[in-house]
Amino acid sequence: MEMHQIRYFLAVSETLNLTKAAERCNVTQPSLSRAIKALETELGGELLLRERALSHLTELGQRMLPMLRQCYESALTAKMVAASIREGEAAPLSVAVSRTVALRPFTMMLRELSRAFPGLQLQLRRGTGAEVAEYLKQGTAELAIAGPLDEPWSRLDAFPLFEEPFHLVVNRTHRLAGRNRVEFRDLASETLLINTECEMVEELKARLEANGIVDTATHQVATQEDLLALLDANLGVAIIPDGASATNGFRRIPLMRLELARTVSVYTVAGRRRAVACATLLNLLRAADWSFDVRTAQQGRAH
Amino acid sequence: MPERPIGEILEDAFIRCRDLQAPLADRLQAFADEVRRLGPHFADAVDALVNRLVEAGAGATAPQVGEPMPAFLLPDEQGRLVRLNDLLGEGPVAIAFNRGQWCPYCRINVDALARAEEEVAAERRHIAAIVPDRQKFAMWLKSDAKAPFPVLTDMDNGYAMSLGLAFSVGDEMKHMMVSSGWDPSVSQGTDDWTLPTPATFIVSTDGIVHARFVDPDYRTRMAIEDMLAALRSAR
Repeated sequence: MEMHQIRYFLAVSETLNLTKAAERCNVTQPSLSRAIKALETELGGELLLRERALSHLTELGQRMLPMLRQCYESALTAKMVAASIREGEAAPLSVAVSRTVALRPFTMMLRELSRAFPGLQLQLRRGTGAEVAEYLKQGTAELAIAGPLDEPWSRLDAFPLFEEPFHLVVNRTHRLAGRNRVEFRDLASETLLINTECEMVEELKARLEANGIVDTATHQVATQEDLLALLDANLGVAIIPDGASATNGFRRIPLMRLELARTVSVYTVAGRRRAVACATLLNLLRAADWSFDVRTAQQGRAH
Repeated sequence: MPERPIGEILEDAFIRCRDLQAPLADRLQAFADEVRRLGPHFADAVDALVNRLVEAGAGATAPQVGEPMPAFLLPDEQGRLVRLNDLLGEGPVAIAFNRGQWCPYCRINVDALARAEEEVAAERRHIAAIVPDRQKFAMWLKSDAKAPFPVLTDMDNGYAMSLGLAFSVGDEMKHMMVSSGWDPSVSQGTDDWTLPTPATFIVSTDGIVHARFVDPDYRTRMAIEDMLAALRSAR
């Protein structure tokens, strides 16, 4: 497939008119038709039902459209990234990260990005799931990293990176600290530290209820830092994602039948042109081998 | 008893072909013959796909000898970003597009490149492979062949596409590949079902294409002797 063939086809899919599509692409209509014909030969079927005034996409054309659009975008990005590489050129990058997602697993990619783009200027925002989604919508952030976003906006593209399990975490001096494993019933008399801004708070509450933890005492906080501070002061126990519990001084204990995990994904806005640093970071994140321990950021190996 | 996927049946044949002490073309042909013997329907579908690609002139507009090789910035199997210019700073380079870790022809090809590495390095030349596979699978391909050269990830075939080197597999072939146990969507991390046309470019230190091999028939690759000769004469 050639980029120009796809570009012509995309123009027809938007205008549904061969003359207008040719004008938009700045080519003659015969060249446009010829290029699309070649694309059809390669794809093994007709993409267009040609009529003078109005052209329609065939069933195959409709089906191929998202893939072709994606291919075209990827190719444009590859060209743009390669062309933009000038020493010291400013490369701004705005990223929003969920407050409950540890930055540590991503610092290696940021370091690599800064090596490739010495002009990298990072703007890092933190927020709740809803805030992160809002940053993306408004364009304040080009890319976001978060757990599941309860966001119906159809232009949000999500690329899953890794599964992050939740664990019970207690202070080292806590009465449960010496245990190898804990049952839900052990938590009945405990005060639970709950981060109300965590993307998974509803799932967590449901899991607690399903296991008979209904009217237990809670301290509610709105940030992970505050949760860890209260944990440090031994004011309660917490069920938090793996990456958040990396701080020393706490004890991670398996909580039987918890089986709670979240998918950490990278999010971008479909159809919005990405700057070079953003496009490169997205590729780094998607290409990365995430089969490692999120807490230590120790790289896993396939073999 | 459920039928074993052809990919699994062919694994022994693959190992035999990969380990043959013979020129690359013979090893690839030996494997293609095994595919035809054990899965004639599959081989027919491959022929049909290749014919379609040849008819459409797939890969014809990829950089020609004497033209500049477009720049790239791609992560290697360890997540380090590599530029074409970085590689050219150390001497002429052979850039080998491969389809992925799941592809037996590519495994034979990368194995042959790895066997040639000593000779390549002795001439202060280099090899870099490009696949649409994510790092874990790029690393697998590299380890499988004990390849000392980098295996770069071209996500979504973006770079290959920009060179006119990507093609759509199509529904018929896709279903055949999945039932045969060859599923690139897992290693690519996308459901696009596009693959690069295997190709090798020998690039001189000035960034100009010195020699090239592009064939929509992915069962054939640039002969190792041709690659070595081109690398040797490249400046």
